[in-house]
Amino acid sequence: MFSDRELERYKRQILLFGEEGQERLKAAHIFIAGAGGLGSPIAIYLAVAGVGTITVVDMDTVDQSNLNRQILHTDRDVGKKKTVSALEKLQAYNPDITVNAIDATIGAENVGRLVGRADGIVDAMDNYPIRYLLNRVALEKKIPFFHGAIRGFYGQATTIIPGETPCLECIFPKAPPKEVFPVVGVTPGVIGTVQATEVVKYLTKSGKLLSGRLFTWDGLCATAEEITIVQNPACPACCTGATKEMR
Amino acid sequence: MTVKVRFFARFRELLGTDILAEPGTGTAISTLVKDIAQHKKEGYDAIFDDNGAFREFVIVMRNGKRVEIPDAGKTVVADGDEIAVFPPVAGG
Repeated sequence: MFSDRELERYKRQILLFGEEGQERLKAAHIFIAGAGGLGSPIAIYLAVAGVGTITVVDMDTVDQSNLNRQILHTDRDVGKKKTVSALEKLQAYNPDITVNAIDATIGAENVGRLVGRADGIVDAMDNYPIRYLLNRVALEKKIPFFHGAIRGFYGQATTIIPGETPCLECIFPKAPPKEVFPVVGVTPGVIGTVQATEVVKYLTKSGKLLSGRLFTWDGLCATAEEITIVQNPACPACCTGATKEMR
Repeated sequence: MTVKVRFFARFRELLGTDILAEPGTGTAISTLVKDIAQHKKEGYDAIFDDNGAFREFVIVMRNGKRVEIPDAGKTVVADGDEIAVFPPVAGG
């Protein structure tokens, strides 16, 4: 059931997917790994869309150099924990949802517990080792994993549905070397919004997901393309039953 | 024969994209990409290691199908092929 305020707030999107779709959003729990460049637009758009429970995990403190892209945080948040800043903003955007902001470092020992009973995991990380952990926990829990990554003006996204699509390790079996990546805020804006769109579509059962397809965005050329991706029959993550260990 | 080579992400910044090449019969994917990348050292080094092999994280696709790195040296291109070469993008 929705309050009058909620019905008014969501009026324009109830036109799209009905109260039934809105109820699906309200009943959902989405886990966002990271409150940085990608995590900011993802969290904001899922909050205003009315995803009932949002868990966001980050271990960092807001730094001045984050502010060109991490739009959850403002100049006066510098020095605050990102989770504190994220909680304030998301509750201000939408007081009718529950936000769990957890100050933690995601690792093999806690990832399963942190994700808990979430209905989906959104990738807003900046490195592959943690992405691989999230991919595996999503496979284990049989929940979707909404991947996104960016560099410079370029970004990519795909939606991984366990048992149906290739997983992240099928697509990218080896992590690239670590680097301080260049980025302008509009790029995580584009890719994070694509990821949030996928979450809304998945939860409301709308449209056609980015499954089995890697969406690529080249902001310099203003071109979006897709690359067909297939499961790797030798994938150690999704094809050998190696996902049973992370509880 | 004409083969299109498409670079993505950082490789595109360094080497351009949608390059039409005219390799000779029997040219392997790795030879073709090497020939194209060779004109720009930074681009070449981003894709190939010191032994001239594709770096292990590089994704190579031929007509939308993945070519495993160890096979790229013996997979021969054909007229009309489209070769895609891209790195995993990591930032967030």
